[in-house]
Amino acid sequence: MKVCVLYSGGKDSNLALLKAREEFEVSCLVTLSPKSEESTIFHYPNTELVKLQAESLGIPLIMETCSDDERSSLKALYDALRKAKEFYRVEGVVTGAIRSTYQATRFQKICDNLELWCFNPLWLRDEISILNEALEFGFEIIFVRVAGLDKSMLGKKLTKDIVRKFAERHGYINPAGEGGEYETLVLDMPLFKKKLKISESEIVGKDYDATMIVKRAELVEK
Amino acid sequence: MILVISTCKYSLSEEEFVRPIAEIVRDCGFDYHVRRYYERIKIEDYSKIIVCGTALRDFDYLNHVDKFTDLTDYDGEVLGICAGYQILARLFLNALEEIKKIGVYKVRIVRENPLIKRETRAYFLHRYALRSVNEKLTPLAMQDEEICMFKVKDRDFYGVSFHPEVLNREIIVNFLYL
Repeated sequence: MKVCVLYSGGKDSNLALLKAREEFEVSCLVTLSPKSEESTIFHYPNTELVKLQAESLGIPLIMETCSDDERSSLKALYDALRKAKEFYRVEGVVTGAIRSTYQATRFQKICDNLELWCFNPLWLRDEISILNEALEFGFEIIFVRVAGLDKSMLGKKLTKDIVRKFAERHGYINPAGEGGEYETLVLDMPLFKKKLKISESEIVGKDYDATMIVKRAELVEK
Repeated sequence: MILVISTCKYSLSEEEFVRPIAEIVRDCGFDYHVRRYYERIKIEDYSKIIVCGTALRDFDYLNHVDKFTDLTDYDGEVLGICAGYQILARLFLNALEEIKKIGVYKVRIVRENPLIKRETRAYFLHRYALRSVNEKLTPLAMQDEEICMFKVKDRDFYGVSFHPEVLNREIIVNFLYL
């Protein structure tokens, strides 16, 4: 089966992509680029960087820009998936959804309307196990947005030590960041032919609610 | 030993519909085996069976309902979830109707049962379900006009049209401790 992966460039969609590749042909990536962090459905920071990630993966990218409101986001997703079906003949969509029934319901309905299979290989996974699995696969992950975590985390690499600290704080924060506590960017993973190198960035916002804006990045040899 | 049956055509769907169930079984301290719907299984080796759900577009298991006919003579307890509910309904000669339901909906309990006590909210993801049942099944819970939980009369076989692993884990846990 040919599938597309709903791809934000963060740890969950990259892990979902890795799992999808074990069984299916991933014909394209689909990225929604919301205009601000108010988006309730999609990952916001640095969506432009997915163009570099897609290049490194050697997988075509469909990117749609959307407004922050739900209707606009879902319409953009519908349009993007329709293009994936039309241009790349995909029969299924793979997402990195973990626990949000709000998000899952909307993805499932859109897939159903487009007669596409919907796969959520991380669904209901223990969040700590997701972080550990990504690290075991050799993912290089940095934090690019925090909301509720200290802004000194921005730009830091996810390590086993940080995962252990998240595990200790389980109950206070969602360790996978599904409550919006943080967003991540994957600089390297096993399917990347080259890794991302950030050469210029800026941190905007205040403590516990800040974003790392990447101003310049490039692909470099691994 | 608990038998967890996958009704998924694709392995990737098992990550979504089977692994979460197996993890609940494991977390409750029970040993389990996962088998696929198209395998011939010696079900008498197991004390309980859970037949899991699958993706909304996956109907391949309906081509293999004959593999489940041994269940009608099984002495242990069975929990059919979504696709498993549909298989139990068909084994006991009930006609499924096209009822597409995606999302979280309120569930009303209509008969006392050991799996769930009170009204709840549950996550649904199915295309077929029951609005009425024959004399072999007893409705336990309703979602609107849909019979979303039933029990097979004189057996400890339960069908659940929604996905209890998402918002109602206690249903699976209560089943395991029946």
